Amino acid sequence: MKLVIVGCGRVGAMAAVALSRAGHQVTVVDVNRRAFDRLGSDFTGEMILGNGIDEDVLRQAGIETADGFASLTNGDNRNIMAAQIAREIFKVPRVITRIYDPMREDVYRELGLDTVCPTLSGAKAIHAMLKE
Amino acid sequence: MYVIVIGGGKVGYYLSKHLLDRGYEVTLIEKDPRRAEVLNSVLGEIVMVGDGDEMAFLATTGMERADVVVAVTGDDEDNLVALQLAKERFKVPRTIARVNNPANVSIFKMLGVDEAVSATEVLLGALEPKIGGQ
Repeated sequence: MKLVIVGCGRVGAMAAVALSRAGHQVTVVDVNRRAFDRLGSDFTGEMILGNGIDEDVLRQAGIETADGFASLTNGDNRNIMAAQIAREIFKVPRVITRIYDPMREDVYRELGLDTVCPTLSGAKAIHAMLKE
Repeated sequence: MYVIVIGGGKVGYYLSKHLLDRGYEVTLIEKDPRRAEVLNSVLGEIVMVGDGDEMAFLATTGMERADVVVAVTGDDEDNLVALQLAKERFKVPRTIARVNNPANVSIFKMLGVDEAVSATEVLLGALEPKIGGQ
């Protein structure tokens, strides 16, 4: 599968490396060149320097032919906007976005985005462990 | 007519000032408390300190009765989300965005914002010779 990941932080880089090792064709987008260091020297995917909410940057990353897309920057709004561009403008079949704010996650999940909310899942996990 | 302006930079300031002059009811949302204090002293207590994308805060601005929400921060993604929340959660009839990247004018419209204005696009239009002009 051809996958585009926006945001090369800890989560983005880890996902990119794992997916690339699993045989997928991965392109990572980040505004900071140094963020790509997290991918390690044996990363075989592509790296694109630029803003993931910029249509032209996304085209350069091959979004037009991508099978999957994930926005994993540290900004909720940036992730939401990038995911909507991927879904509504480029019709990427599978789009996932990370939203830290549970209230915003609620709104956009209702609007049809596939969302991951680490705040909620983290709090739930801690709650469950403390109850044990 | 009740207008909420999100973002108290220069654009937000002048927009609010002119709307007040024309007799509109205006609330200006600014996240920096110090900037908000300055704006309040010149515009007259119309500024609320908070984030344009925090639902709990937006509920305190009376957004559900706003006729128009205008988002003019310097970040396109923040303007988009603020206006989508205004539409989805507060059923605001008209939303207007400032966008920096001219490509976002059409993207914003596709994503549900009623109007999007790009200063870059306006400047480009002024620079280029008018088609059919003299």
